[in-house]
This record gives sequence, structure tokens and C-alpha cells, in this order.
Amino acid sequence: MAERPEDLNLPNTVITRIIKDAIPDGVNVSKEARLAISKAASVFVLYATSCSNNFAMRGKRKTISAQDVISAMEDMEFDHFIQPLQQCLDTYRRDQLDKKEATEKKKKAKEQESSVVIDLDTNGDSNDDNAEDVEPEADEDYNPEEEVEEEEDEEGEEMDSAKGDDAEVVEISDESADT
Amino acid sequence: MADKGDLGSTLPLSRVKTIMKSSPDVSSISQEALFMTGRATELFVQNLARVSLEQGGNKNSLEYKDLAEVVNSVELLQFLQDIIPKKIKAMEYLKMMQKMQDEDS
Repeated sequence: MAERPEDLNLPNTVITRIIKDAIPDGVNVSKEARLAISKAASVFVLYATSCSNNFAMRGKRKTISAQDVISAMEDMEFDHFIQPLQQCLDTYRRDQLDKKEATEKKKKAKEQESSVVIDLDTNGDSNDDNAEDVEPEADEDYNPEEEVEEEEDEEGEEMDSAKGDDAEVVEISDESADT
Repeated sequence: MADKGDLGSTLPLSRVKTIMKSSPDVSSISQEALFMTGRATELFVQNLARVSLEQGGNKNSLEYKDLAEVVNSVELLQFLQDIIPKKIKAMEYLKMMQKMQDEDS
């Protein structure tokens, strides 16, 4: 249990991020204020632990439970933390359950893997086919006019360039006539 | 904002555990209790920062004196008074000492 004193500080980067998330953008937090909040957070952990542990000891239990932490919040008069914490606990428990189920499903899934993969592939293909069917129709509605215009333009350009060529040829011929 | 806070920015639980274990008489901590303490600490930091900014004079900056003021005035933050004491000038301190001596004699 020989921890270094700096091990009892919470990492500054995380504390800074939590502070920044809590207050509006652009608010400057002085270095002194940040350090004070960080220290306060460590002390809060100790205070909460001591209170939670009291509840555990009163219940003649050696291990601090989640309920002890909630009771501690009530004891510390941080009542407004209880509801969000309860929600966090519920999601945490659900996540743990989901993880358990996920690992069990993975085992089962491995057995059924081949059939599942085939199902997914056929679905994917049919979806792709539908998408391809729709898109060309839409293109056909729009493209013909555009293409016509483009063709006209191109023809015009060709005509222009052809005229230009003619003119150049004429000029060259003029020059050649002069020389 | 609240959703974002719930999802991200988690304190390292290993460090939280070290701090918890440094408390005397603590024998063991359930994983759930550790998680809860970490979350509670996050809420506490958010709260302390917000309240101090609101109560402080300047809405564009959070200074030590804002924190000290809140810690001094809010009853449920009394446990922080030794950690975030109000700063006083040496002159004021000397006056205080003088007053105490006068009262004693």
C-alpha cells in the first residue's frame, strides 16, 4: 500500500476536460482554479469513500456496494446526485448484462456463422439490385436533355474550331501569298 | 450536453480506486461502487465548476477566489474548507491576530 503522493491526484487532463464540458465555451479557467478543483475532487473521493464505508460497516459487510455509495451521497447531502447516479448504475448493469449476453451469443453465432453469413449476403444483394434499378431510371429522366445540350455545345465548338482552323488556314495562305 | 457528459470523459477508475484504498478501514470495494464513486466525482467536479462560475463576479473566467467563495458559503462544501481556503492579505491576517489577542486579554 505504499502509493506515491501523486497517485492520490486525479489526472489533470481529465479534470480539465470535465470542467470544460461543464461550463460554456470560451470561459477561461485559471491554473490555480483547476488545481483547486482537482484537489477538491480527490478529497471528494475520500469523503465519499469514508461515508460509503461507514454504511458498509454498519451493515456488517466488508465490501462497499453501489447502494452504500448512494446512501453516502444522501448522507453528504449531495441528494441531487442520487438520481443521475441511479441512472448510471442502471445503464452500467445493463451494459454488463449485454456484455455477458454478447459473449454467449458469440459462441452460438460461431456455430451458426455460415448460415447467418449467407442470409446477410442475399439481403445485401437484393438491396443493391433495388438501388441500381431505381437510379438508372432517374438518370434517364434527367440525362437526355443534358446530353442533347452537351451535344449541341460540342457541335458548336467543333464548328467554331473548324471555322478557326479555316481562318488560320486562310491567314497562313495570306501570309504565304505575301511572302 | 448532458448526454455527452454521461457517455464520455471518464476518470480512470484505477486511480479512483487507489484514492479510495488510501482511506483507512476500507477493506474492499465492489466494481459497481468504484464505478459509482467515479461518476459521482465527475458530477461533483461539473457542479463545483458551474456553481463557482455562476456565483463568481466574472462570467468569462473562473478564478481561485470564486471557488474559495463558494466553498466558504455553501454548507455542504464545508469539507473542502481546508483544501480551498479563502486567501487573505497578510495585513488582514495580522489584524485578525491582533483582535484575537485583544479579546483574550
